[in-house]
Amino acid sequence: MSPAETEHGRFRGLFQRWARQVRLRITARWALSGLAVGLALAGVAAAALWWQRMGSLRPLAAALGLVGALVALLIAARRRLSDTDVALYLDARLDAKEAISTALELGESEARAVVISDATSALDKGDPKRARPRVLAWLHGLAPAGAGAVVYLSLIPLPPAPAPPPPPPGSALVQIANLQGLEKIERLEKLDARDAEQKERLKQIAEEAKRLREQLAKGMEKREAQSKIAKLRDDVAAERLKLGDQKNRAGLEAAVGKLAENKSTKDAAKALGDGDLVEFDKKMQELANKAEKADREAAKQALKEAEKAAREKGAKELAKALEEQQKLFEKREAKAEALRELAKGMKGKLSEEALKDLEEFGQSGSPEAQKRLAESLEKALQGMSEEERKRLAERLQKQMEQQGGMNPMTKEQIDDLSKRLGTPEGQKALEEQLKELAKPDPSEESQREQGLGDAEKGGAEAERGLGGMPVPMEGSGTPGPGDKGDKGDKPGQKGNQGDKGDGSGGPGSKKDYGTGDHKGNTAKLDGKSLRSKAGTKINPGAPMQGSTLGRAPSRPGETANQAGSGALGQAGPSELGGVEGSEVPEEYREQVGRYFQP
Amino acid sequence: MTQSTFEARLAQAREASARLREAIGTVIVGQNAVVDQVLWGLIAGGHVLLEGAPGLGKTLLVRTLASSLELKFSRIQFTPDLMPSDVTGTNVLVMDATGGATGRFELHRGPIFGQVILADEINRATPKTQSALLEAMQEHAVTIAGTRHALDQPFFVLATENPIEMEGTYPLPEAQLDRFLLKVMVPNPSEDEMTAILARTTGHEVEAPKSVLHRDDVLALRALCRDIAVAEPVLRYAARFIAASAPESATAPEIVKRGLRYGAGVRGGQSLVLASKALALLEGRAQVAFTDIQRVAPPVLRHRMIRSFEGEADGLTTDQVIEELVRSVPTRPGPVEQAVQGSR
Repeated sequence: MSPAETEHGRFRGLFQRWARQVRLRITARWALSGLAVGLALAGVAAAALWWQRMGSLRPLAAALGLVGALVALLIAARRRLSDTDVALYLDARLDAKEAISTALELGESEARAVVISDATSALDKGDPKRARPRVLAWLHGLAPAGAGAVVYLSLIPLPPAPAPPPPPPGSALVQIANLQGLEKIERLEKLDARDAEQKERLKQIAEEAKRLREQLAKGMEKREAQSKIAKLRDDVAAERLKLGDQKNRAGLEAAVGKLAENKSTKDAAKALGDGDLVEFDKKMQELANKAEKADREAAKQALKEAEKAAREKGAKELAKALEEQQKLFEKREAKAEALRELAKGMKGKLSEEALKDLEEFGQSGSPEAQKRLAESLEKALQGMSEEERKRLAERLQKQMEQQGGMNPMTKEQIDDLSKRLGTPEGQKALEEQLKELAKPDPSEESQREQGLGDAEKGGAEAERGLGGMPVPMEGSGTPGPGDKGDKGDKPGQKGNQGDKGDGSGGPGSKKDYGTGDHKGNTAKLDGKSLRSKAGTKINPGAPMQGSTLGRAPSRPGETANQAGSGALGQAGPSELGGVEGSEVPEEYREQVGRYFQP
Repeated sequence: MTQSTFEARLAQAREASARLREAIGTVIVGQNAVVDQVLWGLIAGGHVLLEGAPGLGKTLLVRTLASSLELKFSRIQFTPDLMPSDVTGTNVLVMDATGGATGRFELHRGPIFGQVILADEINRATPKTQSALLEAMQEHAVTIAGTRHALDQPFFVLATENPIEMEGTYPLPEAQLDRFLLKVMVPNPSEDEMTAILARTTGHEVEAPKSVLHRDDVLALRALCRDIAVAEPVLRYAARFIAASAPESATAPEIVKRGLRYGAGVRGGQSLVLASKALALLEGRAQVAFTDIQRVAPPVLRHRMIRSFEGEADGLTTDQVIEELVRSVPTRPGPVEQAVQGSR
């Protein structure tokens, strides 16, 4: 081996030793940097886990340090310095004036031997302490800090648990032993149903209400209870006779029209138009009680015509209800007549008050007057002598003969009654009969509606009992605050809207007969935002500008806002009648032809 | 060539350059940097343009160098009426003893046929005359009446320029300035130097130095300069340096983009490496270092960059640009530089 080759081999050996050391230290520096960054992140992660109360995971955060070191090692491997790079590094650190870099790559050259000699000398004399890369850096200070943070955060107790979030609205449990209102729904079981199917449905509603009562007694979610009550209310509402639906609408209007034609049945017509069968029944009761036969006959006639009109328009349920009302009218008429006759028979024995009641009964026919009159008669009967009672019985007998007998007291009954009036049993029987005459005699439909209405009110009461705000409904209002006004002659239609001083209905009430002057007002309802605003003044303004699209004589090609040139009018002979000759469907031909008519 | 042979040549070169410096130093006071840069040009085989105020010893330096080298010295004083033939020479009709024409022409060689040429105040001659000199500098030959005449080697031109009294001058175009390897700025002497100059020049006349280097020595030095090794990373650094001097380059610093119209070209890069080799040789090294490139960059590149209007308006000098390039162009690859910096 030549001296030059020997020198070159020596240079390579020295260089490789230096290169290993340089690369190792650079890799170590990378690894330490990665470890430091990883441990710093581990400290942050441990803090986050501590904050999130994930106590068991805190020590595992230290693994981030190892991950950081591994990643750094990977980066170091990818950025590993080549021999040329190491030579440049050593040239810089050993101040070799690029002799090492030149020697490393120099091929056959005049200067090769000298350059290698210089490079070898530089490597040989180089101070490793001065030339080797530094392993530690300020960044590595993060490693103990991060590790310390992980240890500290793993040892300290976790922060107190935050307060649990509030439960969703309505999820609170309620326990009510006896929720008021449900009993009204339960009573539906005993209500006279329209048919067997309705009977079954009403029974199910009542049973559902009972089950709900039992569940509430044990305790259940408030929102579930509210939902069940709402369903009960819906079910009850569905059972009410809906005269205003599509099927009955035409019949209802026709029947109302017929009733409204007659002066005496106008109020009844209005009640029927409102779909309020209870009120309608009451009005008919008043008419049946009236003393004037002409009025009653007119009412019967109007009722008959109304039933006929409803039937013709296909409102079978309404026609059935009106038919029942006709039958009931005659029965009521007979009862009222019997009461009046009895009163006439006892006229000398009646008090002044009883006479007033008789007069009022004859004029208004109101059930209240009927009741008062029956009570007065009962009192008067107790004060009659035996002779007077006998005369009364004869009179009744005579009257029956004249009228041909009618319910509720048949001729035989009155005859028998007159025979027995002298006895205490007979007297008691007459008293019972009078009580019977004083009883109101509502129609089945009216009773049903009354019962269903009560059940609906019960549902609303139950909702209130649960702390909810019931949906306002017709007839469920409470009396208004007014108390000084005249006796109202019309029921309030909507809550606190009586502004004419003649009613005192509460919200939605139709059954309230308060005597207030309607000057009161409902207390302000607190709301988070404006719900509605009424009575806003609307300023009159000019009409909006725009083009008018109307039909007016014009020339071909003219539109509403563009004058026609008349060019379309100059059609060729073959174009005339083109519309008629075209493939326009038959059903559109006339329409299209009209459209293109000049 | 064995190590000892190359090492011996290196040692001889070191010794020769030391002798040359010493000889020049007997006449020239101070100006060591200027003398070194002139020697870089001489050894690298390039020509040198000296620029400085009158009286700074430019001409004396050249004359002293010529005396020290034992080479044929010519001086051409450039004036506006100087003709190309005054530089190159011409054919003249030969007369017989009676004064009649012989019908023969004889070549009268001009001052260009020297070895160390002092082109004094080169910017005072017309471009036509300047180009006659510049052609000889490039080709190392002149053509007279259709005949090409090779010039003696070594052929070394030292031109001077006066930066003041610019009226009536013909500044050299950039393309011709490019022919000079180095543009050396001759600074004013320091107080000590001035004192020494005053003492030396106001007494008896100083004798010209004896020649210390012969023609063959100079040619040997030039050959050895070419043998100096350059590692690829150093060559890449020189290439990056030149590339960064171009305003359109992505790696150009802001000062280059703003202040220069044209950067140094390929010839600038070649000159950079050649001058670096000469520097390494003069310092007795067999390889070029990054610092060599940085040290030779100002004289090699300052006359190869053309300032933009904005640069001129801002009073920017090419030396400032080169300073910025030295600062901003990285010598080593990024990871290596990080390792070097991280180990400090």
